[in-house]
Amino acid sequence: MSVPAIEMRGVVKDYGRTHALRGIDLTVDAGRIFGFLGPNGAGKTTAIRLLLDLIRPNAGTARVLGFDSQRQSIDVRRRVGYMPGDLRLYDNMVGSDFLDLIDSFRPEKRDVRFRAELLERLGLDTSRRIRALSKGNRQKLGIVQAMMHRPEVLILDEPTSGLDPLVQEEVAKLLEDAVRDGRTVFFSSHVLPEVERLSQSVAIIREGLIVAVEDIAKLKARSVHVLEVTFASAPPADLFALPGVRELRRDGNMVHLQARDGIDAVIKAMAGSGCKVVDLRTEQPSLEDVFLAYYAGSTDGRAPADVRKERSHATA
Amino acid sequence: MPRLSIAVKSLRDQKWQIVGFGLALTAMAAMHVYIWPAYRDTLQNLKLPAAIEAFFGGDLSIATGAGFMSAEFFSWVPILLIVYAVIQGTGAIAGEESSGTMDLLLSQPLGRRALVLQKIAAVCVGSVLIVTIGWLGFLVSVPFVNIDVALADTAIASANMLPITLLFFSMSLWLGAVMPNRATASGAVIGLATASYFVNTLANGVEPLRNLRYGTPFYYYGAGLPLVDGIDWPHVGLLLGVSLLLMLLTLRTFGQRDVTTGGATDLDAAGVLRRILARSPGG
Repeated sequence: MSVPAIEMRGVVKDYGRTHALRGIDLTVDAGRIFGFLGPNGAGKTTAIRLLLDLIRPNAGTARVLGFDSQRQSIDVRRRVGYMPGDLRLYDNMVGSDFLDLIDSFRPEKRDVRFRAELLERLGLDTSRRIRALSKGNRQKLGIVQAMMHRPEVLILDEPTSGLDPLVQEEVAKLLEDAVRDGRTVFFSSHVLPEVERLSQSVAIIREGLIVAVEDIAKLKARSVHVLEVTFASAPPADLFALPGVRELRRDGNMVHLQARDGIDAVIKAMAGSGCKVVDLRTEQPSLEDVFLAYYAGSTDGRAPADVRKERSHATA
Repeated sequence: MPRLSIAVKSLRDQKWQIVGFGLALTAMAAMHVYIWPAYRDTLQNLKLPAAIEAFFGGDLSIATGAGFMSAEFFSWVPILLIVYAVIQGTGAIAGEESSGTMDLLLSQPLGRRALVLQKIAAVCVGSVLIVTIGWLGFLVSVPFVNIDVALADTAIASANMLPITLLFFSMSLWLGAVMPNRATASGAVIGLATASYFVNTLANGVEPLRNLRYGTPFYYYGAGLPLVDGIDWPHVGLLLGVSLLLMLLTLRTFGQRDVTTGGATDLDAAGVLRRILARSPGG
């Protein structure tokens, strides 16, 4: 068994009276894309900054590639490419000078060709001052500085926020290439579809605790689908009286419903009813829905309304 | 050999400050030397009350060239250098954190100590450059004016401004490490510098307050005294020693605490105290 890329054991972090992390245990195997999913304020950034020794835990240990995050921090950082969630750059620097600066801290020889490839694939011009770059272009610069020296582990805090979908897709490919190359990608997100699209495994963090670690395929199977079906005329009242399916509301000919065990039964019920379907939309389940799916089976039994409330109060 | 990219970047970032403060000093120095002949006769015929004399001239008579340069230049010009020192000192740690860029630097294989030491080195070089540029003002004036001040002595007196600059720099650096809030740290040091300047000036002239000056860095700085007496090494040693102590405290405090971003402070009085005592939350 090889050394895990990331390993956290009983990590606790308090900020005064706020408990940011309440005992995190997490193992990320090397060579995978691992998503770190949770609402804002759940502790994602805290956990990530702790891996890089930017902050220190109150208890527990964190290791990256077997190196202690705190005592062997330089060894860790030599092997990690990091993109902060709250990315701040030197506005008065020219993009390429900034990348040179970041390169200067790395002992290995500068990989000019790979840097150029990254810039080209992301469509980023580094001849301008960072001040003049759009939010999306800054984000690209953040991704390039994290990836350009081909680190063994990429730790990216909300890497695709602010990027348009085409660029998000390119970033996804870059990360997949890195993993194919034997590297590990650990990224955080508060958007479920992004994690589903990118990662092979996911850890869900909520209120400073890891509530689930799953393969993406299993997560998808467990996640809730929300459907909006429009019929040509009002459908029978009992059309969706199926196990695992709940009607949320009806607006005339339109039915909103939630399916917990996949959408197969719903589709077949509609087909069998003979009712004419005019439109069918599926909504991405929100994080709350995912939590609902998890908590529905747990003894905790907390209502999703609770989660929603906390989310709206949470801060980054 | 560790790469000095942080030191180089810091120096680059402050190049216009170095040029600006340097040229301000050049202009001040040259102007004061050139106006000296016009003042000399008036001042030599003037009998000032001892207290006023002390206020202007400190321990030197303002009716001499050295006393005039001491009162009109060396007594207050360090304030300019201190402004530079505070900008740099609070910028080095607190500023980098307030602007949120510290995370990016410290996620590189770069130790916190190395980072701070490189920034200190940059400011040492910057201060020397400013004082050197400033001294050019004497170079272009003293040889051409009838003034009883030797050019070499102006170099010594100029260099003598460095330890007090370094003291206020390290004080700002340390406060910036204790409270990663640039505005608060700057305010505290500027307030302290101003107060100690006035206490020292007043204490020079007002007998009952005379002992107070021993508590101010400006007393150990000694304004233009090196023009006449050369460097007062024990005083320089004291200023440099306290600076060094503050730098070591900075390394310790910053080495043990959490890095903040965007000027976020979780600081109450207890938090500040904890940082001054440099106890890490984990330890």
